[in-house]
Amino acid sequence: MPSSIVHIGFGFLVAVGLLGAYYDGRALLAVVAFLLVPEADTLMGLFMAGAHRTVLHNVVFAAVVAGVLYWETTRADSRIRGRFGDYGVRVAWVGLFAHTFAHLALDWAHLDGINALWPLHDQFFRLEGEAYLSTTDGFIQTFVDVARDAETGERRVDPGGRGGRAEHHIANPVQPSPETDPDPDRRFPIAVHGWQLYLVLVGVFTVVARRLQTPRYGQEAEDDV
Amino acid sequence: MPPTLVNVAVGVLIGVALLGAAFDRRSIVVVAAAAAIPDLDAALSLFVAGATNAVFHSIFVPAAAAALVYWDTELREESWLRTRYGWYGVRVAWVAIASYAVAGIGLDLFSVESVALFYPLSDRYLAVTGRFILSTHEGIVQTYVTWGDGWFEVATPGTTESHHVDSWIDPAGDERRFRLVESGWQAVLVLTAAAAVPAKVLVERSDRP
Repeated sequence: MPSSIVHIGFGFLVAVGLLGAYYDGRALLAVVAFLLVPEADTLMGLFMAGAHRTVLHNVVFAAVVAGVLYWETTRADSRIRGRFGDYGVRVAWVGLFAHTFAHLALDWAHLDGINALWPLHDQFFRLEGEAYLSTTDGFIQTFVDVARDAETGERRVDPGGRGGRAEHHIANPVQPSPETDPDPDRRFPIAVHGWQLYLVLVGVFTVVARRLQTPRYGQEAEDDV
Repeated sequence: MPPTLVNVAVGVLIGVALLGAAFDRRSIVVVAAAAAIPDLDAALSLFVAGATNAVFHSIFVPAAAAALVYWDTELREESWLRTRYGWYGVRVAWVAIASYAVAGIGLDLFSVESVALFYPLSDRYLAVTGRFILSTHEGIVQTYVTWGDGWFEVATPGTTESHHVDSWIDPAGDERRFRLVESGWQAVLVLTAAAAVPAKVLVERSDRP
């Protein structure tokens, strides 16, 4: 996985603007929690093969949470609204947005990707490829592989599919490899490649810049912490 | 340079994050455009050798713009920007400068394609790439910056004379390639920016008194 630090950096960039009038330190902290919780499936990996990037890293889980959140916040005696008001509703939605884009989507493009449709369909998907316009080749994209079977003439579409969870172990500090090793090299990546460090720094930049901003008519100032 | 589309995506995300009450169609377009402007130096390289990722990717361009806006809005008795566009104009100007520096130049600096950050004082291309890992076997592994020659150093592929940055305007070979995205994470940035704008529209609608 890109490290949680990278997820949090990207999460800050996304969350600061969407929290809008409800932006404060506590809301930002709640978003960080939303980004960290799915990583709990790393621990499940110790007793369930291939649990990491499967149990909580899938679109089904995110869609169910979105459905429940919608139902919860629109019913008459909503608990979230009753306890935290509009603030709580906003923070929950922004947390889900950050989880989907800053965590799920980023993991989708990393190593073997995510088990996107689990538990409906057990298969890892990885977003990988490039897209360009070329004067010699025209428009080229390699993210989704569309090929025609030479023998049957059947069209096959491959959006970066891999095997199921039994065949895929995604290395992580808790379980560097599926084999038991008395002294494994546990690696905690903070950032790998320029772009991951960049996302961390941009996240910090947005939070600092948001603090320095001059409020309009004092309206935004009161929301700041 | 990483594809301009990706610069624009980060610019849009910075606009969504920092425009606040000044967020509207006009301001987000200005901030997105600011992230694309640095890549125009590729066109300049048709006339000036080695201009790509150098002339407009110099830190001095946004620094000069920031100094100008600061002088106009803080030091002058009557600010032109504030008189003409009010609070809105000042906010958009600052966010556009941030977008130029962070999304336009910064993204390129943290890639192997590198940026001549201190052009024209120095014509050396700089690239901050590497890794930062904590390992139970190797300890702290950090290769983004190294300590050498009494100063921190980052990777460099050469100077404006020795290193050619390829672009669709000024290609190295015969084929012109206008790149949209080069990898999965860049596609994710573009998708996120595309989703963040409608989300911010909803947010602003409910935040307005």
